Amino acid sequence: MAGLELRNIAKSYGAVSVIEGVSLTVADGEFVALVGPSGCGKSTILRMIAGLEDISGGEIVIGSEVVNDLTPKERNIAMVFQSYALYPHMSVYRNMAFNLELAGKPRDEIDRRVQVAATMLELGPLLERKPSQLSGGQRQRVAMGRAVVRNPSVFLFDEPLSNLDAKLRVQMRSEIKQLHNKVGVTSVYVTHDQVEAMTLADRVVVLNRGVIQQSGSPMQLYREPANTFVAGFIGSPAMNLFDATIVNGTARTASGEAFVFEGAGKSTEGQSVTVGIRPEHFLRTGQGSSLTGRISTIEPTGGQTFVTVSIAGQPTVVTVSGDDNVSPGDELTLFTTPRQVYVFDAASGQRISENAHLRA
Amino acid sequence: MTDTATPIDAAIAPSSGRSLGIKTKTYLYAALLIVAAVVLVPLLTTALGGFKTLGDLRGNAFGLPQTWMVSNYTDILFSQRYWLQMGNSLLIAGLTVFLVLTLAAMAAFVFAHVRFFGSDQLLNYFLIGLMFPAATAILPLFIRIRDLGLLDTYWGVVLPQVAFGLGMSILLFRNYFRGMPSELFDAAFVDGAGYFRFFWHITLPLSRPIIATVGIITFVGSWNSYILPLIMLNSESKYPWPLGIMVYRGEFSTDWQLILAFITLTIAPTVIVFFAAQKHIIAGLTAGAVK
Repeated sequence: MAGLELRNIAKSYGAVSVIEGVSLTVADGEFVALVGPSGCGKSTILRMIAGLEDISGGEIVIGSEVVNDLTPKERNIAMVFQSYALYPHMSVYRNMAFNLELAGKPRDEIDRRVQVAATMLELGPLLERKPSQLSGGQRQRVAMGRAVVRNPSVFLFDEPLSNLDAKLRVQMRSEIKQLHNKVGVTSVYVTHDQVEAMTLADRVVVLNRGVIQQSGSPMQLYREPANTFVAGFIGSPAMNLFDATIVNGTARTASGEAFVFEGAGKSTEGQSVTVGIRPEHFLRTGQGSSLTGRISTIEPTGGQTFVTVSIAGQPTVVTVSGDDNVSPGDELTLFTTPRQVYVFDAASGQRISENAHLRA
Repeated sequence: MTDTATPIDAAIAPSSGRSLGIKTKTYLYAALLIVAAVVLVPLLTTALGGFKTLGDLRGNAFGLPQTWMVSNYTDILFSQRYWLQMGNSLLIAGLTVFLVLTLAAMAAFVFAHVRFFGSDQLLNYFLIGLMFPAATAILPLFIRIRDLGLLDTYWGVVLPQVAFGLGMSILLFRNYFRGMPSELFDAAFVDGAGYFRFFWHITLPLSRPIIATVGIITFVGSWNSYILPLIMLNSESKYPWPLGIMVYRGEFSTDWQLILAFITLTIAPTVIVFFAAQKHIIAGLTAGAVK
């Protein structure tokens, strides 16, 4: 086992730069998730760590060794792929044993390690089957088994759950978490699904256009997003964003709605800002200035109902309790709490407001 | 394990979902029967003709034999010449298939997976070979084989056949290899396999359809090849069957029924091999076409 460090790594294809100076330290045994929209470079970073992609600049360090020029095998990493990439003509046993066979390990040791991994992942009864005879979840477990048997220094996951249906995805998510708790190997997990990243990881790294936007614990990203990108990316449904201007220490939209926020001292009068409010932070009752809007659509999900309301001339998603009776056409009056109003500089996107979570 | 309902896949669903009208059906069967007849009638005429007497064949070319002359066939089957020529054909075809499969698979693997300077040009160079009919190159080919001292040897036929077969075979293999998921290669690379082990442990076991396809195409091409053996081989003991028939015709220029019997017996092995490998061939020809 070992930690992982990326020192200012870069990747470019000819003149096109995909990754620019990404630095990241993953502690020994830590579970880090890389999230970002499609094409943000997260899979490329993972493939660079794995040694499947050349590095244009910077250094990758595993343990205390610079591994830039080493093959994946020499780096001692294991990778779980999106499509599982099981060898279709080999049994589950041979799929798991293949890398040990290539490494020339003795037969009894191979057998012992495969059996241990199979027991850990409950694959015992399936060892003689071919991948085509397995369900999606079972294939995923074989792919993880194949990674576990070799005792890697680093585990890499490349969107491993995106081929599964919703129910199975939740189940496999907890299995991956259990596996990490049992094995405790340093893990890097790439996904475009922020829920997956937040539920699994000790630390989440948000990427956009090949640049790290913010890195922190899941709740830190949710409560104190560094900029509008992170604010819009983390949280579901996404944060509502309004264009506004600072007037007398409050953020005021063009149509006159005023938002009171904390940390107004850092803003300047007349500054163009973006106001962000999470759907779940709108309150039906409260004090101070209120917002009103007409309901256009309703999306019940059971415990909660997502209501789309027109506020400041734009559709705004509001989360209300599933017990509330709301119907399209109704007028909705909403309140906000200053601590839960996010204000970002419109030009740079950086957060101005202070939203530190106060523990009661 | 959670069981999820399998979605209905239109491609493998048991029926097309709607039944055809009677008119369409009639038209379909008529068209299929005509096409099938174009292939089957000459085959059957040949096979049945082998059972006739010469007079019967002249007067009644397409009907059933009046008397079944089984001896036409048995005489050939018990003659040494038939087995010698079959052996020669089999040896030449076998060597050709083996060499084409080995060389084309390895070359195609490199073209599909290894990026190197000039790979496109080199591939095009191989594909130019596709446009070359062997007949146009026959004189230089003859001179080269003579200089190599391979005239009147099996190799003198096998090597040019391999050379002419490589272009098409590399193309087919390469398309198939490129259709394999690249994550498979990544996984093998992470598992510690290099190019050689990936080729041997992963690519080849998964390539059975394309191996069967290229093998059959090459085999049939070599089995029916006439002009190359005609030019390269001189001694009758080395003749494959297409040349053997020529000799036959010289000796029995009037006995057409014997020639028909001989042809039937020589194409029988290819027909059998084709039926045995049919399933793989169809899979191989369509694979790589859509993705």
